[in-house]
Amino acid sequence: MASQAAFFGLFLYLFFGAHYTGEDYIGSTVQRFFHFDPLLALITILSARLVYAWFAFSLVTAVATILFGRVFCGWVCPLGAVHQFASFAFKKTKFLRPPREDKASLAPKYYILLIVLVAALFGLDLAGYLDPLSFLTRSFALAVLPAVAEAFSSLSGVLYGVGALGPARAISQALQNWTINTTFIMGVSVGLLFLGAVALNARKERFWCRYLCPLGALLGLLSRWNLLKLRIDPEKCIKCGLCTQHCETQAHPYPEETWKSGECVYCQNCASICPTGAISFRLSAKPEKLSNVSNIALSRRKLVLTTLFGIAAVPFFKLTPARKRASLKLIRPPGSLAEDKFLAKCVKCGQCMRACPTGGLQPVLTEAGPEGFYTPKLVPKIGYCEYYCSLCTQVCPTGAIKKLTIEAKNEIKIGTAWVNKSRCIPYVLGKPCIVCEEHCPVSPKAIQLVEHEATLPDGTTAVQKAPVVDIEVCTGCGICENKCPVMDDPAIFVTSVGETRSETNRLLLDLSAGPSDDPYK
Amino acid sequence: MKRREFIKSAAAAGLALRFGPGALAGQAASPGGPSVLAAVEGESPVAITKEAIAALGGMNRFVGKGDKVVIKPNIGWDRTPEMAACTNPEVVRTLVELVLDAGAKKAIVIDNTTNQAKRCYVRSGIQEAVKEAGGDMLFVDDFRVKKMALRGEWLDEWEVLLDVIESDKIINVPIAKHHSLCRLTLGGKNWLGAVGGARNQFHQSLDKAIVDLAAFFKPRLTVLDAYRILVRNGPQGGRVSDTELKKTVIAGTDPLAVDAMGASLFGVEPRELPYLAMAKERGLGEFDLGKVRVETRKI
Repeated sequence: MASQAAFFGLFLYLFFGAHYTGEDYIGSTVQRFFHFDPLLALITILSARLVYAWFAFSLVTAVATILFGRVFCGWVCPLGAVHQFASFAFKKTKFLRPPREDKASLAPKYYILLIVLVAALFGLDLAGYLDPLSFLTRSFALAVLPAVAEAFSSLSGVLYGVGALGPARAISQALQNWTINTTFIMGVSVGLLFLGAVALNARKERFWCRYLCPLGALLGLLSRWNLLKLRIDPEKCIKCGLCTQHCETQAHPYPEETWKSGECVYCQNCASICPTGAISFRLSAKPEKLSNVSNIALSRRKLVLTTLFGIAAVPFFKLTPARKRASLKLIRPPGSLAEDKFLAKCVKCGQCMRACPTGGLQPVLTEAGPEGFYTPKLVPKIGYCEYYCSLCTQVCPTGAIKKLTIEAKNEIKIGTAWVNKSRCIPYVLGKPCIVCEEHCPVSPKAIQLVEHEATLPDGTTAVQKAPVVDIEVCTGCGICENKCPVMDDPAIFVTSVGETRSETNRLLLDLSAGPSDDPYK
Repeated sequence: MKRREFIKSAAAAGLALRFGPGALAGQAASPGGPSVLAAVEGESPVAITKEAIAALGGMNRFVGKGDKVVIKPNIGWDRTPEMAACTNPEVVRTLVELVLDAGAKKAIVIDNTTNQAKRCYVRSGIQEAVKEAGGDMLFVDDFRVKKMALRGEWLDEWEVLLDVIESDKIINVPIAKHHSLCRLTLGGKNWLGAVGGARNQFHQSLDKAIVDLAAFFKPRLTVLDAYRILVRNGPQGGRVSDTELKKTVIAGTDPLAVDAMGASLFGVEPRELPYLAMAKERGLGEFDLGKVRVETRKI
């Protein structure tokens, strides 16, 4: 418990640190947790065919599991801590009364793991949806923290209303100082999935860890040879069955021969609930039979069938126009790898969206195809890319967004701005407006003003300065679109074309690198 | 209440200035009294700010004991001081110190930024300077923005920052910069940072908006930072080569005179700036520098 609280606290602390703290470079944040995750390491290496050096830390977890079983699940995993606490609360309040013996199949998580592994072999990264660290980080970044911030903001409003200026101001200033984004496209879906996962604990203790978690499954398989074995002192045991009834993960401690080392998370519930103190954990080198790891019928037939289903499912994910031609509104964060590599590496943890100081990074729903659900995109109408900021590149746990210095980031083009002359105020109404030009952060500006003669409805003309984009200078940051006074559909907008990361989403052939003298050389 | 009384008395003083210069014995216009405008050039932003305020008769002339004073610099952009997009932090620091030394209860520094607020506050260097000087740095708070009657010629009502308006004295601390629409952004345009709402719609008639806002806020004192001015790619620049060192601070009680003198640093005649002429017509001040008492010093 103390260990879980400590790791959960560490997780929260690192998670909270992933924002503009006042420093340009924010150092270690919650991505360090991800680097200890063998599932993400394995899947990322398989699907992207790239080794990301930070994942070397996941060997620590793998070796610890081989030696001592799923201690990670019971002692470290912050999502496990959430589930354990929820289970505990549901039990205390009698919403959950564990049966004497639970016989539900523990197999689903192994099948989930298998499908994720098979998909990864075919270059499809599905790990992020159910990996516990990704799931928790995404839930906190896109739903829990924003909701808490909104609640505090409302509280501040109420306090202002009753005249408590001091506390009201303290809250609102603190919220701004912590730069918490509270607007996320379909953030509600992330929030409801999280609530749902927590609510499942009212059905079974640690429902997620028992039946769903692919990381738990992977660690369960690794723990086959583990040395830390349950032992029941036959002289003390009174066969009351409390240990089995209150086992969090259905590891079935009694009788000793049925104990499943691959399910046990070493929470010590059995040992502490045993009225005679008969249960202890001891070192022993005897390996388990695979069938006894979970005591599930992981038969060869079913494994083959699941694999076949996994293989059959992969092509469905490719049935998307996203791979044929770039999507205009899919503006990836600066430093993102080329789209196929990006999709193979992104674990949808939402850290980049948490870190973005303007809140412009938003979850993708459809633009990137089915495998791109919850990956990040910049939505300039909501927030733009701050010129001197590279935070999203610093917090990415897998390198799907390459870590960049601010100088390097400003060399990158994430899209191109276009003026919609049929909506732009000087072009159509003949009235002055230079808002996009004044906000353009590059110098000399990528938006230049030219004299334009507008013909008005009554036939008269009006000459005004009107914006023209220099696409070679434009970085696609989107501040022009964000600040455009044409509210509903800004008269200047950014699309992904010209993005540095793509060799195909190009506009002009001669944009980069001067041509060589001899074309046949 | 205090604020309203102040506005009334300021308006009365304005009238007196216009119609009876001799009636203000001991005030700004009296011979031998403090100047209306002081321009000081020198190496240190701190020293020239102090000197400019001293030339106007010292901060005690503007700030009373127990006053809540709002200092409104330009912190609009996520730019470091050498880019000359935001007011020089040392100028702001000095004013906070002077205001507190004059007995003010609070020196509040606030601006409605265009880039992300915290980034602007931190990277402009102003947050740190204000905190070190003992002032209070406030972010704009949505609950503290209220639609108020401006009764301007163009803007009838607009969202105003209550943290600015609910104060005893306001000191405007703009920086002198190039701007592609109103040509130069000086003291008048700095008020865009004291309001909320859809400010980007002001640009459809920016000169009128500037005058309406300037008529509403009526600062007790304007201190124009021209230590490093932005001469192109305004109003945020982006390269040091977009700036020029002028090493000057211009302070004054007449906001138009301050802006007029600021314009001269760019070689721009005050009458070339429409908002100055409009403001003069509205009785907000005098931009003909021949008609105001100017003190220039070099230290």
